[in-house]
Amino acid sequence: MSDREAEQTRPDLTIVSEETPPPSQANDALVLGSAIIAALAGVGFAVGLALRTSITVYGTALAIGLLALGFGIRRYFSDLFPDIEAVEPRHPEQQATEEPVSAIAPLQRRSLLRNALIGASGVFGLSLLSPVPSLGPAPGDALRTTDWRRGTRLVTTDGEPIRADNVASGGVATVWPEGSINNEISAVILVRVGDTEFKDPTNFDWVVNNELVAYSKVCTHAGCPVGLFRETDNALFCPCHQSTFDAVRGAIPTFGPTARALPQLPLGTDAEGFLIALGDFTEQVGPAYG
Amino acid sequence: MTPLFGKLFDQLDARLHVRADTRKSANKVFPSNWSFLLGEVALFSLVILVLTGIFLTFFYRPNVEAVTYTGSNPVFAGRTLPAAFESIVRLSSDINGGLLFRRLHRGASHLFIATIVLHMLRILLTGAFRKPRELNYFVGIGLLTLAFGAGFTGYSLPYDSLAGTGIRIAYSELLSLPLIGDRVAFWIFGGAFPTGDVIPRFFVLHVMLLPAALIGTVGLHLFMVYRQKHTQFPRVGVDGHQLVLGKPLWPLQFAESTTLFLWTGGLLAAAAVLIPWSDVALLGPYVPGEVGNNAQPDWFLFWLEGALRIFPPIEFGIPGTLIISGPFVAGVVLPGLIFTFLAFYPFLEKWLYKLEGEWHVLQNPLEIPLRAGVMLGVFSALLLLSAAATNDILSRMLGIPIEVMTWFFRITVIVAPIVLGLGIARYARRRLNRRQRHVPSTETEAQQRYIAA
Ligand code: HEM
Ligand code: FES
Repeated sequence: MSDREAEQTRPDLTIVSEETPPPSQANDALVLGSAIIAALAGVGFAVGLALRTSITVYGTALAIGLLALGFGIRRYFSDLFPDIEAVEPRHPEQQATEEPVSAIAPLQRRSLLRNALIGASGVFGLSLLSPVPSLGPAPGDALRTTDWRRGTRLVTTDGEPIRADNVASGGVATVWPEGSINNEISAVILVRVGDTEFKDPTNFDWVVNNELVAYSKVCTHAGCPVGLFRETDNALFCPCHQSTFDAVRGAIPTFGPTARALPQLPLGTDAEGFLIALGDFTEQVGPAYG
Repeated sequence: MTPLFGKLFDQLDARLHVRADTRKSANKVFPSNWSFLLGEVALFSLVILVLTGIFLTFFYRPNVEAVTYTGSNPVFAGRTLPAAFESIVRLSSDINGGLLFRRLHRGASHLFIATIVLHMLRILLTGAFRKPRELNYFVGIGLLTLAFGAGFTGYSLPYDSLAGTGIRIAYSELLSLPLIGDRVAFWIFGGAFPTGDVIPRFFVLHVMLLPAALIGTVGLHLFMVYRQKHTQFPRVGVDGHQLVLGKPLWPLQFAESTTLFLWTGGLLAAAAVLIPWSDVALLGPYVPGEVGNNAQPDWFLFWLEGALRIFPPIEFGIPGTLIISGPFVAGVVLPGLIFTFLAFYPFLEKWLYKLEGEWHVLQNPLEIPLRAGVMLGVFSALLLLSAAATNDILSRMLGIPIEVMTWFFRITVIVAPIVLGLGIARYARRRLNRRQRHVPSTETEAQQRYIAA
């Protein structure tokens, strides 16, 4: 094809450079080869899946098929068409014409009418937000109270009540109010410290046998469960952002991003020697809220 | 064009008169540069996400009621699990090909967000956000936000222990909003955490609202690219301000994109074989009050996680009403500021250098000191914050106490970006001064300078 003919069939394309690929047997072989591989891989994928082989088998077949097909298509096109670079005008900075957007101009009327309608649409639009509160209940007391009451027994996640003399030394246990297992905001971590004295600001009335103390397990930073206990320094540790609390000093934060101590659960024992709460927490449980 | 296709097209054209428009589109010129492929790969990842997501949706159960798993996975056989988690175990262990689809979906979601971020970086560094493309840059910021939303809701759906922890932190972030926090959190979660509503709601967001918004917004994004034509790197002999130079859409650009699409799929399939993404069996279902040791979000939220970790302990105001807490500042104010700053950066540059007219030719960021400084500053801060999200792991690996590690990050996150940003801005300034230049305020001036060099 001469250059002039090319111009005629592409009057709307301004070509800058054009390279016609020479016929190439090697390329034909590549296209054919990848076509065969892709087809075989397709069969492999389908059969592999049907026979419930493993992801290694049919996943690999899928990968090979897609890669081979992609490769083949690219080779095929670059052999079939000349490689063309062309330019197109951008039409930058079109001058704004004076013509208004619509051909129909409004008549002169009082602007009050228009403004009244705009205002009404605004008010009406805002009123459409009124269903939003239906999305959830009003918080009420839900963030201020937990399920702990005076006399509520502490139970393990399996529902077993706990005897004061039954907690391993230097150990921690996750406990719940009896009847409210997995009620997240009521989660408590029961700690039996080693041979140490409790110090202020611990509430000593809520320490049992001079060694057992219970704190809210909900981190006061962002609410993760404070799950880890380091016996060497009686530190409670939150795995989310590493807030650290001192279990013998009323769980005040000693390091990390939280600003508030874990609330201490009023802890006591009942007549049968089981651990009970003496009431709900007296401080706010969990992260700050506005 | 094959004869059959030609005939079919003739029939279509006789009815819809599309020949002229089709030809115009087929002739549309695409400048080629590898960095322009990032957006394309993001697009292809989205297609793969939709296709694999449809398969997953047929099996996923969006609720947290306790059910007994009766399938073949030995870890969970006979155990009572939240329905959402149970359906994920079934997908992975019992539904033929389910694991492949899950891993493809998970892999594509990583690739999707990674390529969006890199694509954005290309736009920012080369100045493709300048007039007339500011509008499309805004659309891009919207797309990034939607992608983060899709990623976070998707990460939550399996309701494994990491997902539950992530949801709890998101809930606490909502609670932290001064004045309205408790109400907003209860609206979104349908009550106090952990409600039964959050998974069904996240599901609707993840498979309906966010994909629809993503697809619609991507459509708008591409329409604008089509209308405004691509930017391009400078080239001698081509007036890039007036012309766009590249390959016509048909045939070679089409062939290249098709290949890129198939290869994206192929590489994701290979990754699905090699990388056990999202192996929920290792984590177990979410149980209130329990959390694993390495609690971490997906990588693209590491910067937020890092900010939460190293932000100093503050909390003041009136508890339960007007309170300003660390999670609020680090988790709400800070990302808000970063997104707002990035969104309005184009106007800062325009104002500082008194830029005029339209810009279609890309630049080396070292030619614009403000841009070099800001980008290095912002992105090094984001990278350092992300590194801070692994402070517990680093502390264990390096044997450095966590307290020291945290203080190291508290200081470097502030100092390093300032030093790096000012340093590179100064270097760029000197580079210009050496050649007795200022930042060009029109593209014509920039072009003349390029030709002279
Ligand atoms: C139309 C689009 C989409 C549909 C229909 C869809 C559907 C689903 C479904 C049903 C699940 C739960 C099953 C599972 O976890 O394996 C899921 C999970 C997930 N999705 Fe999507 N999704 C879509 C788009 C996205 C996007 C855009 C992203 C990220 C940018 C994303 C990221 C995730 C992630 C990270 C998971 C968790 C995967 C896992 O653990 O297996 N998805 N998706
Ligand atoms: S949630 Fe405990 S440190 Fe952040």
